[in-house]
Amino acid sequence: MAVRPPTLRDKRRYLLVRVDPPGTTIDQKELYYAVSDAVSSLWGDAVAGIIVQAVICAEGDYVVIRCRRGTERELAIALSTVTRLRDAKIALRIISASGTIESLRDRMKPRPPPPSPDVVPEYRFFGKDYVAVHCDGQKVDVIEKGFKNTSRLFLTTEDMETE
Amino acid sequence: MKITDAAVCPYPNGDSSVRRLALEAEALGFDSLVAVDTPSATYGDVDVRCGLFIQNTGMKDVISQVKRVNDPGTVVSVRAGDAGFNRGVVGLKGVHILRGLHAADKNAFDHVTAKMAADNRVAVDIDLSCLISARGIARQKAIQRYRDVMVLEQRFEFPLTLSTYARSVLDLRAVREISGLCMLVGMDLPDVEKALAGVGAVTALPEPAVKVV
Repeated sequence: MAVRPPTLRDKRRYLLVRVDPPGTTIDQKELYYAVSDAVSSLWGDAVAGIIVQAVICAEGDYVVIRCRRGTERELAIALSTVTRLRDAKIALRIISASGTIESLRDRMKPRPPPPSPDVVPEYRFFGKDYVAVHCDGQKVDVIEKGFKNTSRLFLTTEDMETE
Repeated sequence: MKITDAAVCPYPNGDSSVRRLALEAEALGFDSLVAVDTPSATYGDVDVRCGLFIQNTGMKDVISQVKRVNDPGTVVSVRAGDAGFNRGVVGLKGVHILRGLHAADKNAFDHVTAKMAADNRVAVDIDLSCLISARGIARQKAIQRYRDVMVLEQRFEFPLTLSTYARSVLDLRAVREISGLCMLVGMDLPDVEKALAGVGAVTALPEPAVKVV
C-alpha cells in the first residue's frame, strides 16, 4: 500500500506522561491495555475509535502516548482514571503535549540513581524499621524491613527525623 | 482564593505521610488540604486543616460529636444518609460539608435540603474518587447523582467542595485533571474554581449583619 502524502495523513498529538511511583517497571503492552480500558470505559468505544490512543515509547519513568489532534483533553481525562498497571498501583501524571516526540524528549528528566545496595539507608517511622527504595530530594519511598510486608510508604526526610 | 482538596487520608489511614501529601499537592497545584484526624499545620506553602469525618451514626451522635469540636479551624463533615437525616444535618450549626451523596438514596438530597444548605452555608461534596477508580454502573450512578446535584446547585447556589479522598500520593490528581473530571458531572470552569475554593467559603466567618462604623 502506498504511503499517504503528509497532507492526507491524520494529525497526531503526543502526550508526555510520567509514571508514579518512580521505579515502576513499565510494560508497554500492559500500559496500552490499561489506557485503552480507561478510555473505552469512560468515553465508550465510539469516542475511543476517534481518539486512537497508542503507547509509543517508554523511557525510564516516562511514556509517550499518541492521540488524534483535538482529542488531547479527552485522553488526559481518561489517563487520570488509570490507577493500576497489572497488580501495581500507579498514577499517570501528564507533563506536556506536543506535535512531535522529539520536543517531548527534552522534557524527560533522567531518573535519580537508586540507593546503593551496599549502603541502603534505613529509617524508623512509628516504631517500625524501613529501608529506602527511592529518594528524590525531600521525598523518600520506603518498604518495611523484612519480607512479610512489602507495601510502599510515601514519606519525607522530615518524617524520619521527627517521628 | 485557596485551592483546596476537601478530603485526604494520611498515614495511618493511608500509605503516605501528611507532609508527603502536602508536598505532592503543592506540586499538583493545591494551596491547602483537609486531612482526616490530623492536626492543622502548614508544610511548605500548603495549609493542612484538621478534618472531622462523621459517618454511620445517628443524629444524636452527630450532635454530640459536633459539640465536642474545640478547634475552630476544624472542618466538620457528615456522611449523607436518608432525606430526613440530611435535612437535620444541614440545619445543624457547626457542620460544614455533607459528603457521600453518590452513595445515598436517590431522593436523599432534594430541593428543600438544597435550599437549607444554601441558607446555612453547608457545602455538598463531590467525591472524585468514585469517578476515578470506579468503573461501569458504579461510575454511571455517581455521575447521574452529581449531575442531579448540579441542577439543584444552579438553582439554589449552595457551596460545593471537591475531594479526592487520597489515601496515597498516587490518588492525588492535578487541578487541571480535576477540572476535566468535573466536566463529566456538568461543571464548567467557573463552577470548578468556586468548588475548589468551597472549603474556605464555608469555614469563613459570616459577615456581621450590623457593621459598627
